[in-house]
Amino acid sequence: MNVIEIKNLTKYYGKSRGIVDVSFNVEEGEIFGFIGPNGAGKSTTIRTLLSLIYPTSGSATIFGKDCIKFAPEIAKEVGYLPSEVFYYDKMKVIDLLKYAASFYKKDCSKRIKELAEIMDLDLKKRIDDLSFGNKKKVGIVQGLLHEPKLIILDEPTSGLDPLMQQKFFDLLLEENKKGATILLSSHVLSEVQRLCSRVAIIKDGKIIRLEKISDLTEHNYKKFKIEMKEEISKDYFELGGINNLEIKGNKVSFLFKGNINLMIKKLSDVEITNILIEEPSLEEIFIHYYEKEA
Amino acid sequence: MNIVLHELKAYRKSIIIWACSMTLLAVLYIFLFKGLGHDIENFKAFLNNMPDVIKKSFNIFIDSISTLEGFYSFVFSFVVLCGAIQAMNLGTAIVSKEMRDRTADFLMTKPVSRCYIMTSKLIAAFSALVMTNIIYLGLTVSAAVALVGTFNLKVFFMISVTMFFVQLIFMALGVLISVMAGRIKSVISVSLSTVFGFYILGSLGSFLGEEKVRYFSPFRYFDTAYIIKHAAYEVSFVVIGIVFIIAAIAGSYLVYLKKDIHVA
Repeated sequence: MNVIEIKNLTKYYGKSRGIVDVSFNVEEGEIFGFIGPNGAGKSTTIRTLLSLIYPTSGSATIFGKDCIKFAPEIAKEVGYLPSEVFYYDKMKVIDLLKYAASFYKKDCSKRIKELAEIMDLDLKKRIDDLSFGNKKKVGIVQGLLHEPKLIILDEPTSGLDPLMQQKFFDLLLEENKKGATILLSSHVLSEVQRLCSRVAIIKDGKIIRLEKISDLTEHNYKKFKIEMKEEISKDYFELGGINNLEIKGNKVSFLFKGNINLMIKKLSDVEITNILIEEPSLEEIFIHYYEKEA
Repeated sequence: MNIVLHELKAYRKSIIIWACSMTLLAVLYIFLFKGLGHDIENFKAFLNNMPDVIKKSFNIFIDSISTLEGFYSFVFSFVVLCGAIQAMNLGTAIVSKEMRDRTADFLMTKPVSRCYIMTSKLIAAFSALVMTNIIYLGLTVSAAVALVGTFNLKVFFMISVTMFFVQLIFMALGVLISVMAGRIKSVISVSLSTVFGFYILGSLGSFLGEEKVRYFSPFRYFDTAYIIKHAAYEVSFVVIGIVFIIAAIAGSYLVYLKKDIHVA
């Protein structure tokens, strides 16, 4: 079953582009990554799903219901964490969380305590006394306190230190295990790589690719780093399937997609002093996509 | 209900400050009236020598100045001015505050419709005005009764209540402006300029003796001289006020329900 279905969603702000013809589905129980550079349309898509902005054309459903028409009903089961969090400055953290909880018709006080403990958040402080990272923690607790079935995260990790990021990811994985579906937008590819099973890549308002993470990393690309005895000309690597070729003196690095045997044979013809073959990070794969499309 | 309570909590201090300062202003004048005592006739003669233009623009009516109602109506025009600023602030703030402080995301991703949010915020603003008026009326009327004793309580009351009506008009105007505008950086500058604009327009109208200008300035909808004379309001202005309030609020709902909410 699809938790989110987006069909030909288009949004123009006046004449300037937001997103064009975006379509993809997020299945129940998966962690779905949504990736693209700044200004590509990630937030526009997410804000439309949350019915904060209205689409110019196209439609989207969440839990099978139209996300604009049934927004309040859908919101009962959705937790949202924006990239920058803003709350009523003069409130205490606990009062804000209680206010947030008052919108859901269930008792959330126990969950608030649990989450605050995990995220190491002081509930008695005033919001305007909190650092950016601590405000973010309030956002995390606030987004998860009603145990939502769908969690939407818009560049969630900015401002969190690595330790907190780890705790936060563990929390998300736990929620996911309990059955929550997660949509995670990011431009930090490594975090998407760690969490997500599938990913949509958006650029200039259009979805340019929709893939399984495993397909992207395991089956397609190998990263080669080679040191040669002598300098070698670029022409030597005029071969199908090579991307991001970089030659610095006698050091060569590139991504290779294709029959590995061909590459090994090719390399056996030259004198090699050192070689490293590894899984490329998503970053390296995507940079190639971005550049190609630009 | 939770939104209403949250809003009212946020307004608590401002309600008390506004209501008390307006009361202070009015009570000060009641003291002044008491202090003048029998000298009021001399004061009347002094005012009589002032040019008509000044008398008109300051709401001074010589016939009734020797009564508390008449004397009070002079200061009351300033009280209403304060009240209008308070109401306009409230009206403008209820929507624009969430945009400016970027808390709109928080509120609008909760399981409530925009209609519900708007209604809650309007109820909160309305209640804030009711509370302000209860405080003001309660304190001012009791001060008047305690200090002066004999005066036309009904007329005094009727004059005072007009503030609430003027406030409702400016609140509605504020809401309409705030939903139409993008982000308002400073609520007070918007409300001050609008309120003073209308106030000056109204004064200008009475300067020039132009009756029609009255229709464009809510400050002139309730002519205290008329109220003192007839112990009644002028129906046509009341109707215009009500029509404007309904239209502005309805328009605000329409815009707000269709509006895109941006953060950046």
